[in-house]
Amino acid sequence: MEEKPEQDRIPDTPLFDRKRSLGGYRINKMAMGLSRPENREAFKQDEGAYLDRFGLTPEEKEAVMTRNWREMVRLGGNLFFILKISAVDPVRITEIGAHQAGMEHDDFLRNRLGKKV
Amino acid sequence: MAKLIGGLGTSHVPSIGAAIDKGLRDTPDWKPFFDGYIPGQGWVKEHKPDVAIVIFNDHGNSFFLDKVPTFAVGCAEEYRPVDEGWGPRAIPPFRGAVDFSWHFIDTLIENRFDPMICQEIEVDHGIQVPMELFWGRPVEWPVRVVPIFVNVIQYPIPLPSRCYEMGRVLRQAIESYPGDERFVVLGTGGLSHQLQGARAGFVNPEADRAFLNDIATDPDKLANMSREQYVEMFGSEGAELMMWLVMRGAMDRDVVVQHKHYFVPASMTGAGMIVMENAATASPAVAA
Repeated sequence: MEEKPEQDRIPDTPLFDRKRSLGGYRINKMAMGLSRPENREAFKQDEGAYLDRFGLTPEEKEAVMTRNWREMVRLGGNLFFILKISAVDPVRITEIGAHQAGMEHDDFLRNRLGKKV
Repeated sequence: MAKLIGGLGTSHVPSIGAAIDKGLRDTPDWKPFFDGYIPGQGWVKEHKPDVAIVIFNDHGNSFFLDKVPTFAVGCAEEYRPVDEGWGPRAIPPFRGAVDFSWHFIDTLIENRFDPMICQEIEVDHGIQVPMELFWGRPVEWPVRVVPIFVNVIQYPIPLPSRCYEMGRVLRQAIESYPGDERFVVLGTGGLSHQLQGARAGFVNPEADRAFLNDIATDPDKLANMSREQYVEMFGSEGAELMMWLVMRGAMDRDVVVQHKHYFVPASMTGAGMIVMENAATASPAVAA
């Protein structure tokens, strides 16, 4: 059953399918927790301890703690959940986009979004 | 009898709400975007709908991955803004059209659609932003709402044709409703954008403009497209555009486009608006 997963038929476009949803459940549940003020406070106070509450693997923990958005998505993080991290540790969504595209922020704005910067 | 007076389409990008909150409406980045909605706001002011049925997706705010309804319908008295991570936004709660919601749910089930039924639920920017774009920031919303949530995040997501069919049932529910309320239906989401993967930042203005034409003149074509085609043309998150088909399915085959607007990029998204009326009952066209 090593069939190529359907989502990869569109290049560089990870669809949130069964495999990613199962794999990313811990990361996404942790991020979902940030929609509560007391959890945002806990994340700010001791991020590692907060992540441990959700049983993140060392690999997942590192991806989150280094704000490695590309890696979080690779591990099954879904942007709508992990974006909540930016409510605690602010970063623009275009920076998250540029990081995943592997581009400098200004290049990303110019070349992907057609902005004059 | 209850009456469908119009079908509206709009983007629901969260940055639009944030721009309003931060007072950025008239900055160079945002002014052309917001100005394009002035005719749409004029239309709702003039036509005074009583009920707005809003089709949108939750973005991991009201639902987590533990329970993912493909279609869910709100039948609550009130819908409060949910905390998306930054605290609930300071906008008035939405009043529900409870009686119609239940009537709609009955009609859906009788037509073999089986939605989740939500008597208590908070709502995210997916409905907030469209309401603000058409009704501004009133002290109290002048319309009651019926939220329809569509799962466009966790695969398998529904087929575009299924959204279109749901719209037909919605029309049947409106026309069989024994009140004299005036209804508008809002299809929301899109247009092209992609937030995840190495193709993040993908926008497709040409396809967006074609969509804004086709939604009026050739909705069958849009309904017959596959999910993969939506993702390819509009980006992984832009595929949510299929939710406009619920709105379009509620309308007649022949419609009149009263207003249309397109702007790119709003944050990372091709953003658009349309205001349509059924041709058979359309008001005289105003200067667009």
